[in-house]
Amino acid sequence: MIRRLDPSALQGLAGALLFFAGWEALSRSGLVNAVMLPAPSTVVRSAWALLQVGELQSHLWASLGRALHGFAWGAGLGVLLGVAMARLPRLNGFTYPLVQMFRAIPALAFVPLAVFWFGIGETSKVFLIAWGVFFPTWVNTFIGVRDTSPLLARAGASLGARGWRMLAFVVLPGALPFIIAGLRISLSVALMILVAAELTGALFGVGYLIQMSQLVFRVDQMFVGLLVLGIMGFGTDLLFNHLIGRLLPWYGAERRQQQAARRSTP
Amino acid sequence: MRAATAVAVSRSRTAAAPPRIVCEGVRHAYRSASGQETLALADVSLSFADGAFVCLLGPSGCGKTTLLNMIAGFLQPGAGTVAVDGRPVEGPSPDRGVVFQDYSLFPWLTVRGNVQFGLRMAGVPPRERRRVADDCLDRVGLAAAGGRYPFELSGGMKQRVAIARALAPGPRVLLMDEPFAALDALTRTSLQNDLLELHRRDAKTVVFVTHNIAEAIYLADRVVVMSPHPGRVIEDITVDIPRPRRRTAAAFNELYERLAAAIGVNALE
Repeated sequence: MIRRLDPSALQGLAGALLFFAGWEALSRSGLVNAVMLPAPSTVVRSAWALLQVGELQSHLWASLGRALHGFAWGAGLGVLLGVAMARLPRLNGFTYPLVQMFRAIPALAFVPLAVFWFGIGETSKVFLIAWGVFFPTWVNTFIGVRDTSPLLARAGASLGARGWRMLAFVVLPGALPFIIAGLRISLSVALMILVAAELTGALFGVGYLIQMSQLVFRVDQMFVGLLVLGIMGFGTDLLFNHLIGRLLPWYGAERRQQQAARRSTP
Repeated sequence: MRAATAVAVSRSRTAAAPPRIVCEGVRHAYRSASGQETLALADVSLSFADGAFVCLLGPSGCGKTTLLNMIAGFLQPGAGTVAVDGRPVEGPSPDRGVVFQDYSLFPWLTVRGNVQFGLRMAGVPPRERRRVADDCLDRVGLAAAGGRYPFELSGGMKQRVAIARALAPGPRVLLMDEPFAALDALTRTSLQNDLLELHRRDAKTVVFVTHNIAEAIYLADRVVVMSPHPGRVIEDITVDIPRPRRRTAAAFNELYERLAAAIGVNALE
């Protein structure tokens, strides 16, 4: 990345540096209460202290584990039901309005209910994340499978693909770009619901760290929690894209070509 | 009278060997959103001899692609029958390879993966699959491109791969729907020559849809001219200009004039 520092990256870097320098200056100037708005240097020092006692890692792993656990359930079921509904018209007829109805309810509204049903333990958190992740994955999978290219389906059929082979070797790979887009949205949804779920109570977790720090009036540690969440979201997205690029070399290239074509046509 | 010539042509071929493809009284109607019915094909009867290279020529809307889709098994005729090797066509099958006008390679597979696709569906073991695929790629001049992805290929190369993919399962019939229409003139000529060479070597029955008169004369043993509203056959001509054909030859131009007159050149783009 350092190899290609183009002007826009330099500008972005300059902007970020300016922002943090201004913040640092503001906190140190005495114009604001430095306890309420701790300087970036203070936040980094608190993060370092939390790291050294191993507390930050425990919070981070607890949160990541939950997010992944819920993501796996929600994404798995979302893909499964999305494919099934797009391929089975009768199942679709029965369930489509129902799924759309549930989709319309904001996932966060289920937090109190989930706590009531599953307690404040892991189950309620995993359930909430899975619930939130399910819908974006489902809708993208559904559309991707339903809108299979008729041309590719014909090409597949003329080469002897039918039944489950058509599904596995033509329809699903063709729907993959949609499914991937759904999973990427789901990933950010998972982190969002994770925090909301952890705020309801937990023994470890980044959301819990923020909540606890508020109770003991450690604003600097609250900022550490925010920082970690930012890095987590950014990091998982980066990792996800990297994995896609490695596993599906054609995917990125196709998309870049389409974007280039769109740019060149006014 | 023209219909009579068509029958005579197919009969003279029938005498030698049973025809590969027989269409009898084929009719097909599309219904538009407003409920209006358009006759894409009205009572078309044709038969194609084994090993023939036949071009279906005509302006858009004449039903040439509809007829090809019926032979491929993508469409069922509203009336009449389409049979290949004496058996009615009930659906697509790898013994009728199809090359489409639009690029139809699977973007998620490499060139070799695309060419192997039909063999994979047929359960051919990997080693044999790869051997056949590389052989087919070699025949279309792309032996070195097996590991590349479709997005890395030019339009001409994509259509070469599409031809190799259709050939790999060993079809007896090759159905081509304006496969070179989107290519530039030089690439098109090069692909036309390669297709003729492929046909000369293994004599598959080729049905080639085009709206390009010169392309039809250059390629075909027989040109079936179709006309729209309703879609029907208006001319059925055996092309006996010796190969290689030169587009500047007198016989070529004579036939060009005749076909252009039959279609009414204004109907073409």
